[in-house]
Amino acid sequence: MEEPLLEIEGLTKRFGGLVALSDVHLRLRSRTIAALIGPNGAGKTTLFNILAGLYRPDHGEIRFGGRSLVGLKPHEIVAAGVARTFQNIRLFGHMTALENVLIGMHAHLDEGFWDIVARRRAFSRAESESEARAIELIRRVGLDGQERRAARELSYGEQRRLELARALAAKPRLLLLDEPTAGMSSAESHSLMRLLQELVQDSVETLFIIEHNMRMVLGIAETVAVLDYGQKIAEGSPDEIVNHPRVIEAYLGRREWKPYA
Amino acid sequence: MKTAWTLAVLAYVILTSLLARRFPQSVLALLAFEASLLVVYLAPLARRTRMLLAALVCVFLLPWLGVANPYFLEIAIQVGIFAALALGLNIVVGLAGLLNLGFVAFYAIGAYLWAIFGSPQANAFLAGGYFPLGPGWFFPFLVLAIAVGGCTGLMLGLPVLRVRGDYLAIVTLGFAEVVRALLNNLDKPINFTNGPRGITPIERPALFFAPALELLGVRVDAGVLYPLYFYFIVLLLVCAIVVVTRRLEESAVGRAWKAIREDEIAAACMGVPVVRMKLLAFAVGAAFASAIGTVFAAKQVFINPESFTFMESIGVLAMVIVGGMGSVAGALFGATALTILNLQLLKGLSLWLNSVRQSGRVISLPFLGDYDLSQIPAQFEPAKYERMVFGLILILMMIFRPEGLLTPRKKRADGRAAAGN
Amino acid sequence: MEGLVLGFMYALIALGYTMVYGVLEFINFAHSEIFIIGAFVGVEVLLLLQASGDLAAWQPVLLVLFVLAGGMLLSGLSALGLERIAYRPLRGAPRLVPLISAIGASFFLQDFIRLVESLWRNTFYLTYPTIGFLEKPIPLATNLDVPVKSFLVIATALAMLLGLYFLVNRTRMGTAIRAVAQDPETAALMGINVNRMIGLTFFVGGAMGGAAGVLFGLHYSLINPYSGFIPGLKAFTAAVLGGIGNLPGAVLGGLVLGLMEAMAASYLSIFTGGTFGAEYKDVFAFAVLILILIFRPRGLMGEAVREGA
Repeated sequence: MEEPLLEIEGLTKRFGGLVALSDVHLRLRSRTIAALIGPNGAGKTTLFNILAGLYRPDHGEIRFGGRSLVGLKPHEIVAAGVARTFQNIRLFGHMTALENVLIGMHAHLDEGFWDIVARRRAFSRAESESEARAIELIRRVGLDGQERRAARELSYGEQRRLELARALAAKPRLLLLDEPTAGMSSAESHSLMRLLQELVQDSVETLFIIEHNMRMVLGIAETVAVLDYGQKIAEGSPDEIVNHPRVIEAYLGRREWKPYA
Repeated sequence: MKTAWTLAVLAYVILTSLLARRFPQSVLALLAFEASLLVVYLAPLARRTRMLLAALVCVFLLPWLGVANPYFLEIAIQVGIFAALALGLNIVVGLAGLLNLGFVAFYAIGAYLWAIFGSPQANAFLAGGYFPLGPGWFFPFLVLAIAVGGCTGLMLGLPVLRVRGDYLAIVTLGFAEVVRALLNNLDKPINFTNGPRGITPIERPALFFAPALELLGVRVDAGVLYPLYFYFIVLLLVCAIVVVTRRLEESAVGRAWKAIREDEIAAACMGVPVVRMKLLAFAVGAAFASAIGTVFAAKQVFINPESFTFMESIGVLAMVIVGGMGSVAGALFGATALTILNLQLLKGLSLWLNSVRQSGRVISLPFLGDYDLSQIPAQFEPAKYERMVFGLILILMMIFRPEGLLTPRKKRADGRAAAGN
Repeated sequence: MEGLVLGFMYALIALGYTMVYGVLEFINFAHSEIFIIGAFVGVEVLLLLQASGDLAAWQPVLLVLFVLAGGMLLSGLSALGLERIAYRPLRGAPRLVPLISAIGASFFLQDFIRLVESLWRNTFYLTYPTIGFLEKPIPLATNLDVPVKSFLVIATALAMLLGLYFLVNRTRMGTAIRAVAQDPETAALMGINVNRMIGLTFFVGGAMGGAAGVLFGLHYSLINPYSGFIPGLKAFTAAVLGGIGNLPGAVLGGLVLGLMEAMAASYLSIFTGGTFGAEYKDVFAFAVLILILIFRPRGLMGEAVREGA
């Protein structure tokens, strides 16, 4: 088997008495779209937060392209090639769409302090090149002409797409998307699905998506992992997952008392 | 249309300056002239015209008035000093969103740096009697102060920036109090700072241009020469600070600062090295404050720890907030407005009350009966209540206009563009 | 002994910081002025009694109780008013906004007290009248005489602390306050009037500060509108030292800081061979503050807080 892009081994995270993740193992290959599903509070976002470097795991190892990510700062992880979006959109509301995307490029934007102060040519070139690329990305997610608007003035769906553009600006090899279609209309999620499929073809090696919308998961994911109470209870192709007894139990077993999970 | 505006603004500027020159004692005339920069800023003019008009006011009209009335230059210098401080704090608080309540400490460091070596003070702990250093050393020390200020900012920031926002405010406040306590107490065992007695006389910068003036046959009264000189030093320094701030603002660094201010965690997850950027903000702000501190020391000739109290930090914070956090124009506006309020209006009001008191007139108020004006208590002097005024300003701004009085030009332009779509 | 007196004083003030922080997660920067208001009320009451010639006629214990009650009431009311005017409109705003407003309030109150006293007495440096009973020395050991007033500070502070403990842990009101501190929204759903409880927190915290102010005045006699600032900052240090939001922690922090400061004042010059004397005790206190905030922001007794991402 080829070397996996991301390898998670024995990952455990506790918050006080609560075990958010317990001994999770996971491998993601290159050139795939993988989905992570599970009931609310199963630890999905915690897993993303650990991958992004916001939390330090209590145990376990994360290898990305052969290199350990444990203990790296969030910005170092971005520089290593992992970018993310957030479940509850976290754009920089008072900054323009363009500035938001430019922030995503920070890790690759090599502007020295004295270059900026002296406004050297190196700075001007870096700035205009990155601006051109940012505009290109904004166009790619379908927000042409919205560059100068403040992020908070955009509609909900536009904000989700802008967040995607911002994450893409970091040139990630692995892109973590936390519920990218939440709150979108079905037409919007459909076009987003198509965009994500294109991205795996040409710019991002692997997409790892937390999603509740099962139609979307079944539509684009090649592999699906299921978390419940911090444990991985199943992993496989979408068809295998839908028929997996423990998955059915995890979802249906709760229906009586948590109908909207 | 544009030309009409240009002419109108030009007329206003020239008219008010003539008035101020004709009636040097009139507070109103001065205020009207001081407002001309605001008029230039607010009027719908092309960027170039605006710059030219501002230059006209700052480079020609203001010194011209100052020659007639040195008090006017004094105010302008004070405004400039506070503007530099406000611009420095604006980077820390306004752009990076770090509430630094001890900003005055960096100002003090710059001031003492030159005060100690630019006066006989350094002889107290360095043998050889080399001090005071000559006036020619002032400018090298200005550069040195920038470096020292920046380094102090880094050194303070390194441990301090790990703490959360509101704790950061208290830690920086504690730092400033420690610095002030050290300035007050480091007169023994070795006398570094001369304690509460302060340091004097401090050398003023060299008049390197004096031969050129003579050659040109220009004769300036010595009493006005130094104020004019300091005015132009401060003006240049403020302009340099504005340029540097603007450039940083429009770069990856400025964007990173704003992103940290808006959402630190999201910024980190987008690849912004949060700690490094915060440190940079701290260092740049500190360097500005330290630089202007040396100018302050040279201008005052005498400094002591009383000039660097918590009140100064809060005053500068109020300036940044009044103008609007994160905006260069706002910081300039806030510094000008509050310095004028403090130096001119409150003091003016105090003087006026004094004169009223001494006139001994009796006025009759409806329902209250006669009131002898000489009965106004002597303790009631508006100039002594700057804390009350500044405190009130902070509260009112936070409640009614946290974004500042001067909304940034860009926002208005954006708003217009958005409305036009 | 001096350390204990200081410590209990800091503890009383620290309670005000910690209670408000516990409920609103907000540093009530103006608490130091609430504290000094108590001291001014105390001095005014005593001076008025002195002017009318009744001062000597009062039974000393009753007198002290009366003055304390006055200081607590007015400080509590000021804190209440402050919350209504300067903080409540800002609830829910970004963290730094109410903090800046509180700093403004602190400055405003300092000069406001000055203004009132200047207009009223034409000076704002006031001295507490001497009450003979309080100055009486009690011999504790050979060479150690402690004036009654030191015991007064400790006894009053202890009584207040017990009272507060009872209020918070044994009454319905206390339960409601704790509920609001835990989770204001749920508390509101349970029918608790959140605004009233926040107001009450400010009142009680302010009253503790006011009591501390009166004790401060009785003990050190000289006060001015600006003399609250430094003790306030130190009390805040004490609150952080004990773990902010934690009531017993504030008391512990106050005592630790008071004792350390007194020790620093008397031993610093001995340890450093006279190089650094008592004038560095403020530097010492602030150094503690800075170090605690940087290295142990949860304090000695604070609980681990889970960070939300």
